[in-house]
Amino acid sequence: MHSEPLNDRNVSEHSAYYYVDIEEYPTTGWDKFKQVVKRTFRGELFVGLWVVMREMIKFDIHTVKYPLEKLPIGPRYRAVHKLLRLWESGYERCIGCGLCEKICISDCIRMDTKIDENSRKEVTEYSINLGRCIFCGYCAEVCPELAIVHGQRYENGSEQRAHFVIKDDMLTPLDFLTSGQQAEYPGFGAITPNESVTKTPLAY
Amino acid sequence: MINFTINNQPVTALKGETILQVARKSGFYIPTMCYIEKTTPCASCRLCVVETDKTDGLILSCQTPPTQGLAVTIDSERLQTERTNIMRMYDVNHPLECGVCDKSGACDLQNKTLEFGISSQHFSAKEQNRKIEHWGLINYDPSLCILCEKCVHVCNEIIGDDAITLQFGGYKSAVIPKNSDVLDCTFCGECIAVCPVGALVSSKFQYSANAWELTQIPATCAHCSAGCSLTYEVRHTSNSLGAKPKIYRVTNNFEVATLCGAGRFGFDFDIQAAKDETLFEKAVLAFQNATAIRFSSLITNEEALILQRLKEKLGVKLFNEEARAYQSFMQAYSSISGKSAFSGSLDAIAQSDAIIVMGGRVSTDNPAVRYAMTTAARHNGAKIVYMHPLEDALLQNVVTQNIRYEAGSEEGVIAMLAQTLLEGCDVDDAIKAFLESLDEGYLCAESNVGDEEFAQISKSLRRAKRKTLIIGSDVLSHNRAVNIARLCALIETHTDFSLIVIPQTVNTVGVSLICDLDKDEKIANVVGYNAQGDFVIGSMGECAMTMPSLNSQEGTFVSINYQLLATNVAVAFEGHCLNDIAQALGLKALNTIDYTAQLPVEKGFKAVEFDMLGNFYGALGEDYRGYQLETMDSELEGALEEIDDLPEFNGTVIYQCNPVNQFNAYTARTSQLEADTSLRGSVQFATAARISDGESISIEGREGVRVFIVDETLKGTIALLPTYDTAFGGAHEGYRFEKIKLQRMGS
Repeated sequence: MHSEPLNDRNVSEHSAYYYVDIEEYPTTGWDKFKQVVKRTFRGELFVGLWVVMREMIKFDIHTVKYPLEKLPIGPRYRAVHKLLRLWESGYERCIGCGLCEKICISDCIRMDTKIDENSRKEVTEYSINLGRCIFCGYCAEVCPELAIVHGQRYENGSEQRAHFVIKDDMLTPLDFLTSGQQAEYPGFGAITPNESVTKTPLAY
Repeated sequence: MINFTINNQPVTALKGETILQVARKSGFYIPTMCYIEKTTPCASCRLCVVETDKTDGLILSCQTPPTQGLAVTIDSERLQTERTNIMRMYDVNHPLECGVCDKSGACDLQNKTLEFGISSQHFSAKEQNRKIEHWGLINYDPSLCILCEKCVHVCNEIIGDDAITLQFGGYKSAVIPKNSDVLDCTFCGECIAVCPVGALVSSKFQYSANAWELTQIPATCAHCSAGCSLTYEVRHTSNSLGAKPKIYRVTNNFEVATLCGAGRFGFDFDIQAAKDETLFEKAVLAFQNATAIRFSSLITNEEALILQRLKEKLGVKLFNEEARAYQSFMQAYSSISGKSAFSGSLDAIAQSDAIIVMGGRVSTDNPAVRYAMTTAARHNGAKIVYMHPLEDALLQNVVTQNIRYEAGSEEGVIAMLAQTLLEGCDVDDAIKAFLESLDEGYLCAESNVGDEEFAQISKSLRRAKRKTLIIGSDVLSHNRAVNIARLCALIETHTDFSLIVIPQTVNTVGVSLICDLDKDEKIANVVGYNAQGDFVIGSMGECAMTMPSLNSQEGTFVSINYQLLATNVAVAFEGHCLNDIAQALGLKALNTIDYTAQLPVEKGFKAVEFDMLGNFYGALGEDYRGYQLETMDSELEGALEEIDDLPEFNGTVIYQCNPVNQFNAYTARTSQLEADTSLRGSVQFATAARISDGESISIEGREGVRVFIVDETLKGTIALLPTYDTAFGGAHEGYRFEKIKLQRMGS
């Protein structure tokens, strides 16, 4: 269909526009009463109910049963952060360089480091204030070790804001790692989907 | 004046300036890695190469003075290639650990690597397995070291410890402790400051914060009277500690200034208190009922002025024996010299070629003086005469003549010194008569300094052009301090010596200028401010009410250079301060710093608001800190007194003297500084006092038990007694030599 008839917005023979046939609104009380009775007992309600009934019997339901069932999420979805571990040794990937803390535009990352007994930098505290986090993903982008990543967990319902955001909550538990449940960040520098590659990916 | 050109632009050099110095002064950029303004050129990086029309090869601009008419090119293609290659060499096998390195973000190597665009390694060498060295407060990672030698140069030329050296071995070269397996030095940490990479780092700071996370607060060191410039670097702590601000480290402008270990590592003496209204009312009441206020010189000028105003308003007396001693010394000095302040300064010491130190253990009392003396010795070949009853091992590298006089005989010694130095000077008859009337035989015999030693002084200083006489704090508390001051003034007035007097505490000079002090007496109802009293307020010792420490205060100090220096709040204090009490007592100033502009103009202060005071050094080392106090004229009314009989100190004698990097109750409670509280004496002292190494002793009339340690570096029969660890930091109120009775514990 050409768009020209639509351009002329005046209702006429040549245009595509016409007045919808709308009944006159009831004006008297009696007319209004008649309209209510007519609409109530016309049985249109059962048209909708029949559709529900029919689909129920067919057992072909497309609704996601949310708490039991979840939609798959795009690999780049940016939900609550996770701190990953090295596949080989199980050590934390985070070296405490502080770049995420620096780049964070809502200033919600705070970390604390110290020198450990092997003269290496140890991250003693790491927290993200989710009350301020805008989930921009800069922290994951800047991380040179692919240590801080955005996970897929978007359910932040809790009694307290502070939940989910301390280091112990974010860090992959060791048993998760050994059982291979640490999901690799599928973004930049990510592990190639190949069974033989088991090493920790590096950005450089 | 030498005229030459840099990149065809005409420039002028003063005599002794190098091409690099002229280039920087005139705004030309020549990259360097190893250059440091305050030492002689290290000449190790070779980045500062330039081309000239008179030489074929490239020359090092850092160590070459220009000649008349020279045409220097500083940025040709050849130079760029040369410099890029040098940077490539620096980056060979430099560990890629910028992510964790303390220096990252403030690293010369990082900056220059980016500047020259070195993005890959063009050469390779076998990776070496090198161990990180742990030297107490300092960690050294040889694999990060670029061997610029800055640390070695400052340690040797400025500090005088001469504790580190370069172990030559080509690719295997490293910085090692000199003549020792472990680092044995005064831990000034200047090597950490000058290190352009993260090779030398503070072990307590390492890996605790990144350079860019720290807020820099320019301040003035509160530990000794030098008033060194330092920067407190503050950051929040971790969440589990409440995320409160904390001082992480102290840095300094190492290009022009130097800082000792107490300044660099003794920063965590801040104290915290909440506002307590009942206690506050009690404090106000105590001030109202007070007959006197006793206070220490660990105080800002502004608070000293508040105390002076309180004195005027409430009619109380002000006690501060240490500042009063300095005040009366300077009064006596002025009565002969006719001016309110002496002519010397730390810069003057550093530029001297002859220095006489008398009456004070300057190396630990005031490390800045020691560094200035070392600089003079290394750069000008200065002759340094050290006159003191105890030799100082820390100065043995720089002192050319050691003179040991008997404790207590300072008046005799300074009189003999005056006689020596004034020889041949044009002085009036009264002075001539005074000098001739000296009983040399008696003075020499009693002070145990021979004629020949004075003769040697006059012989070795004959050729010197810039001379400085340094007077230590022993004489300030001497019974005859007033006459000693007059003799010092005499030397300064009639010879070409400049004089500098070294008091003990950070603001002794300021307090002596601002406060009208009374003679201390034991009376009731004394309010103590960081000092003994019936009601004690303060930030050290046991206080009824806690006040902010000096790193939580805004205010100013007056240094020994008679320079007013500002200090700022590093860590905020929550409780009440002296100004709150003063407000309750009727003084009207909203903030303590409102008093800065009200400091007495007749004493040389200027009516400058606190916020207008600078606190930094310029790019070429210009001093923009505070202002120089004006030297006022005073009446020439003083007359020399006859030399009194010299006192004798026999038996068990101690000298009140703090160990390295310890000054007061603040340094005593910091976490990094070594807290040595032992009584140290020579073997001779141990024999005389009949005590042996490691024995616990107590001293009659003093609290506490001390361990006696035999110190091989000491000679003679005088032991060193630390005072910094006593209740209020033990500023030396009496004469520093004292005859004591020792008691062995458990016998």
